[in-house]
Amino acid sequence: MHPQLQLLVALQDMDQMIRETEESREQLEGLGFKHEGLENLKRAREDLAGQIDPSLGSWYKRLTARFGHAVVPVVGNLCMGCFASIPSSFVSKTNIDKVQKCESCGRLLYWP
Amino acid sequence: MDIVEVLKHTSPALFLPDLKATDKASALAEIVEGLVAGTSIQNPDTILQMLKSREHLGSTAVGPGIAFPHGRTLAVQRLTILIARSRAGVDFESEDGGPTHLFFVLVAPPQDSGHQYIKSLATLIDRLQDGDLRAKLRDAADYESFCAALKGD
Repeated sequence: MHPQLQLLVALQDMDQMIRETEESREQLEGLGFKHEGLENLKRAREDLAGQIDPSLGSWYKRLTARFGHAVVPVVGNLCMGCFASIPSSFVSKTNIDKVQKCESCGRLLYWP
Repeated sequence: MDIVEVLKHTSPALFLPDLKATDKASALAEIVEGLVAGTSIQNPDTILQMLKSREHLGSTAVGPGIAFPHGRTLAVQRLTILIARSRAGVDFESEDGGPTHLFFVLVAPPQDSGHQYIKSLATLIDRLQDGDLRAKLRDAADYESFCAALKGD
């Protein structure tokens, strides 16, 4: 996987963790979990975001604001964001040197 | 969600009966190795990073001798549960300071219908309140007897 895509996936996972912790804090703490490290996690998130190419970071931010998730999996040659077909030529390029975007919705593509 | 439903998300290939690690970082690494070996997951680094991030929030070792490392990541397409056990115990920075012997690791995709992930977590935590059950799980001979004990058979 392209190193920048690896960072973007980690950033999205972290953003979801922060969001879910804030939204479901009461429920999760009811199960016994403590979240005293939330501010540290937010700082770690900023450190990670700082390692991402600015143009990709800005694209990630725009997509997240618009769709909720900027990076989506490709399953069965379909973008799981908009269900458009992904050309098979993308697959061969994916693990080489590019971060791929869906030609239909612009989301960043991840092959799980 | 009952325990039988929860156990549909694991398998014998996702049972690590004898963790070698004794500290949190090594235990998480061994757990992720087990996830990769027991599934078709391709991206272990992403899962490891997610589980470490979750531990930064606060230790998931919230029960007596039990931890529930968990989180969502793009690296998986369905809820996957790995069960691990350490005979010697792992320093998992538990709330009570004691060693952790049982690990229930839940890794879920970013979206799952019906919030199976949180429901599974809640079911496991509720079931493992039982001290006699925890003792049985620590002594279970294999995956089948481990699951039978969890189901109350």
